[in-house]
Amino acid sequence: MFGSLFSTNRRLREVQIPVLSQVTPSPWLQAWRALRQNRLAMLCLILLVVMAVWCVVGPYYSPWRDDATDALMINKAPNAEHWLGTDFLGRDVYTRLLLAGRISLIIGMLTMLLSVTLGYLMGAVSGYVGGITDKIIMRFADLVMTIPSLPLLIVMGAMLSELDFSPDSRVYMVIVMLSLLEWPKLARLVRGQILSLRERDFMLATQVLGLSSRRRLFGHLLPNTVPILVVMATMAVANAILSESALSYLGLGVVPPTPSWGNMMDAANSLIDFQRRPWLWMPPGVAIFITVIAINVLGDGLRDALDPKMKRSKK
Amino acid sequence: MATLLRSAFAPAVQRARRTASFRIALLASAVMLSSFAFADDVLKEGITPATDASQVPAAAKLRTDTVIAGISEPQGIFNPYFFVNGWDENVTNVIFARLIDWDSQGKLVPGLAESWTVSPDGKTYTIKLRHDMKFSDGSPLTAEDVAFTLTVLYDPKYDGDTDITLAHITGGDDYKQGKADSISGLKVIDPLTLQVTTTQPGATTLQKIGGPVLSKAYYGKGYTRGNLDYLRTLHGKPLGNGPYVYDKYIPGQEIRFHANANYYRGVPPTPRFIYRVTNPSTNFQLFQTGDTDYDAFTSRPDDIEQLKMLGFANINLYGSSDYSKIEFNVRRPALQDVKVRQALIYGLDRQKLIDVVYQGYGSVAIEPIAPISWAYNTDGVNPYKFDPAQANKLLDEAGWKAGSDGIRVKDGKRLELTLLVSKKVLNDALIPIAKENYQKIGVLLKPQVVDFNALMSQRKAGNYDLASFSTSTLNDPHDGVWDYYSTESTESGYKNPEVDKLINEGNATLDIEKRKPIYHELYKVLANDPPVILLGNRKILSASSARVTGFKPDIYNGLTGSLPDVKIVK
Amino acid sequence: MRLPDLSGSFNEKVMRNFILRRLLQTIPMLFLASLLIFMLFAKTPGDFIDGNITLTAQRAAELKALYGLDQPLLSRYLHWLGNLLRGDLGFSLQYQIPVSQLLNQYIWNSFLLATIAMVLYWGIALAVGIVSAMKPYSLFDHVVSIVIFAAMSFPTFFLCLLLIKWFAVDLHWLPVGGMTNTGSDATGWAWVAQVAAHLVLPVVALVMLQAGSLTRYFRASMLDVVRMDFIRTARAKGLRERTVILKHALRNALLPIITLLGFELPGLFSGALITEKVFNWPGAGHIHIDSLAARDYPVLMGFTLFLAVLTILGNLIADVLYAWADPRIRVRS
Repeated sequence: MFGSLFSTNRRLREVQIPVLSQVTPSPWLQAWRALRQNRLAMLCLILLVVMAVWCVVGPYYSPWRDDATDALMINKAPNAEHWLGTDFLGRDVYTRLLLAGRISLIIGMLTMLLSVTLGYLMGAVSGYVGGITDKIIMRFADLVMTIPSLPLLIVMGAMLSELDFSPDSRVYMVIVMLSLLEWPKLARLVRGQILSLRERDFMLATQVLGLSSRRRLFGHLLPNTVPILVVMATMAVANAILSESALSYLGLGVVPPTPSWGNMMDAANSLIDFQRRPWLWMPPGVAIFITVIAINVLGDGLRDALDPKMKRSKK
Repeated sequence: MATLLRSAFAPAVQRARRTASFRIALLASAVMLSSFAFADDVLKEGITPATDASQVPAAAKLRTDTVIAGISEPQGIFNPYFFVNGWDENVTNVIFARLIDWDSQGKLVPGLAESWTVSPDGKTYTIKLRHDMKFSDGSPLTAEDVAFTLTVLYDPKYDGDTDITLAHITGGDDYKQGKADSISGLKVIDPLTLQVTTTQPGATTLQKIGGPVLSKAYYGKGYTRGNLDYLRTLHGKPLGNGPYVYDKYIPGQEIRFHANANYYRGVPPTPRFIYRVTNPSTNFQLFQTGDTDYDAFTSRPDDIEQLKMLGFANINLYGSSDYSKIEFNVRRPALQDVKVRQALIYGLDRQKLIDVVYQGYGSVAIEPIAPISWAYNTDGVNPYKFDPAQANKLLDEAGWKAGSDGIRVKDGKRLELTLLVSKKVLNDALIPIAKENYQKIGVLLKPQVVDFNALMSQRKAGNYDLASFSTSTLNDPHDGVWDYYSTESTESGYKNPEVDKLINEGNATLDIEKRKPIYHELYKVLANDPPVILLGNRKILSASSARVTGFKPDIYNGLTGSLPDVKIVK
Repeated sequence: MRLPDLSGSFNEKVMRNFILRRLLQTIPMLFLASLLIFMLFAKTPGDFIDGNITLTAQRAAELKALYGLDQPLLSRYLHWLGNLLRGDLGFSLQYQIPVSQLLNQYIWNSFLLATIAMVLYWGIALAVGIVSAMKPYSLFDHVVSIVIFAAMSFPTFFLCLLLIKWFAVDLHWLPVGGMTNTGSDATGWAWVAQVAAHLVLPVVALVMLQAGSLTRYFRASMLDVVRMDFIRTARAKGLRERTVILKHALRNALLPIITLLGFELPGLFSGALITEKVFNWPGAGHIHIDSLAARDYPVLMGFTLFLAVLTILGNLIADVLYAWADPRIRVRS
């Protein structure tokens, strides 16, 4: 009898039964459609893509090479030749901003993807399966959390330097290492969320309805973890971009002369620079700001698109 | 993916590069002329007095008996022979007085020692102490205390920074190895006279034995060889004989002193002195609000301008005694050839580097000694002015021919050099400039940024071609060249018998007039067979408030040399 | 539907056993962690002696032997472990005092600063999160979000410098840095007043930097809960909005946040590096970096192990609080 209710009959989809409206054949396709309707989120997605493309292509159209130092043009304000002025070595800030964008965006996105994916998987498995798996994963997470990140990075950096890896490829190592060290926190957050969701009434309902485990997990439980996932992802991107500049002091992360948004902001490090030379720190700061906001709005849009209740209240 | 895009946009890139290189060439020639343009705006060395003493902040005026100076990172080891970092040395210089001091030119002058004589063979030193000297607690200071101090330095468990073995005191090694119960070379002739016998003469021996004096009664209570653990407990409770007496240390905050009534030069006029912990981000603000009366700043035009605008700052600018360098790993086949090393120096635009980093407050180093020293003499020493054509010629002569991509090749090996650096402003500028310069002479530079400790250990392992770092403070020209002595340059493998000979000669006599020509010759030899690329000398900037007089800092004595003369203006 | 009330029938013993079992699990974990950390530090290139460029090769070798740095790794570890079990954390190579004494000098200052800041930014995040949830997507909500992201993109360093410039240098309201007035001998309440004045700016900086991300988590959690059916029921029952939010929504929204609270514990003692440095606050932040740069192994091991204990403890407390706050989870585990 229930079989007919679960058919893909279009008319049935119009029926506003709370539980069943979530049980449509391809919720992900529906989510994409809903997202497309969210104009603000789409705007942010396009903005991010444009930023990425601009950073990749832009430097080729600039007359300045990023490492062209010029003792005459130190710390000049924005002018016709240098649209965003020059830094303490006479290098063009605009070109460096774009080149930095390549690296910072990659670092931000990759770290976020890696750590969030890993953290989410571990946390979800731990929270949903429970029992001995949960205990093992959580104790392992505790152990990883006690490992100090800086010495680990120094050791890895030294190993790669001895194997003669270029500084650029060392950045990827840093991304991987940081993600591997960050996942326990994210896993615990996700697990906490899943533990409380598991006991909620709607989950009991799905159990009563006799839905398969897979369906319960992917169709109902996980979509409800998207809100916290969105926050985690946004924070992860921002943290990754900002904290990699701190690593450059140890010769890790993005080391000079390669620019990154983090280390460009870092280079302006006195009050004089702050007050008198805003073109040194404002462009990277604004770039990070826009990136973080765009990801957040996009993430919010994604959450809304995946949340069936949200759809209803918008109508 | 990046390479894919690059090939797609190749035409645009070519155009961009041509335009860029033309502009760079144009500007580069202008840079040569512009380096003189700095001269007008650059502050002169010495003391530039305050322009408007009335600007002294009210908060500072409230302090009628205390002078406050800034310090960066004291660690609490207040013992002149056991401290680990230079800030603690600043503290011990206030608490302890030396036997033999330096004047502002680096020449040795009497301190606690009234006079000294050196035997004709240069191996025996007789030091006479002044009369009636006391430690700050009133106990007498005698030659016994000096002998005790030197004995502790030879203790097998001594782990401090002062390497007394370089003084070669007779019987010192025997004492250290347990073969003797005291050092035969130390003889207390009378309470005011100590005779020190050494196995070989040395120009730096007087400095080494003429350091601060530890009280035998206080630091030597219960001392037996090999047992120095008890000394650690005394690091936080020092007893000295310097201008000020230690009062209190609040970790991370301040160190307090009061004037030493028993100071041998007379009681200092300012009753209380405090070192306050500051850091480069806010030390200017602390000076501005009157929280400190003296502090050191980075010597850049920005800071100098700020200080001038305050009005109440006496600005002191003096040359430092260290120099920065890039060391060659001479064990590597490519660098064994002296022509290659010379080419690398000719091919690096050091003037541009110094201009950019120091903006007028630094100069290119031509010798392994700073301009402030008496040994500085550049006549006839090859200055290696930036000359890419000469560099190319030398590399061609050395057999390195340009390959298809511009990088030189010889015997199938490309001329690729790794450069180890740690993170600091000089290296931030060095890397792009060096990469660009060396690309033009067909050398591929591969910079590696690591933290300082890792750099040193990689250097020890011989895992580098070039390594960039600076020397520490050099009190004597011997210190500036000792690294190039064959037994000391084991990391780089540099060996030059002529250099060894000249270093030994320079160290064998105390007579400055005799030493000058020796070092001059040595610098010429070192320039022709360079162990390092000398980079630059820098200047040090400090400022004192107009409400105090007497601060005359120099590189040999820092601020503590003139501290006993500091007075608060009424 | 109300939450099932199991507190009455709850067995205190079960909770106690849970805690005890976890504590027992902690001990082998700490051993393992200490071994891992020791190997990590030992493998870090360079050691304490390598950082000193003024030493002759002979002297360097002498000193390494003196400090036992030339011993094989395993024997060094066992030596350190033996001392640890006797309560001796070792001697700092850099500071020449016992590691426990060194840590004592600095961690309590960090603790003071971090705790006060934590109370404040948790309070702010709570308040802002609640208001955002009560009025989602309103102007207030959007403005708050933008301010938060702007604060995150703003460099820590400049924020601290700005605060100093405005309040200390220009207005002379507050001191430039440090923990007490230089040269002051104040005790008792006078001392407390001084420390309080010196605390204001660093606390403001820390709060501004950290309130943002917590507010986001909180808001997401609240928004989630507010849309649940049982809230609709409560509203339908005619309860006041305030009661609905504070009594029903809040309790459930806090649950995932408790995990975040557990992460705070090690942070209370490890020190905020940049803020402490700029404000000259004598905290433990710089010890971490300085001892790593100098390869001061005893301090590194002692400090890292201390933080490891706090990390594990923090997670344990979070788990306990979680089980206590939500009885349904108790039943399951």
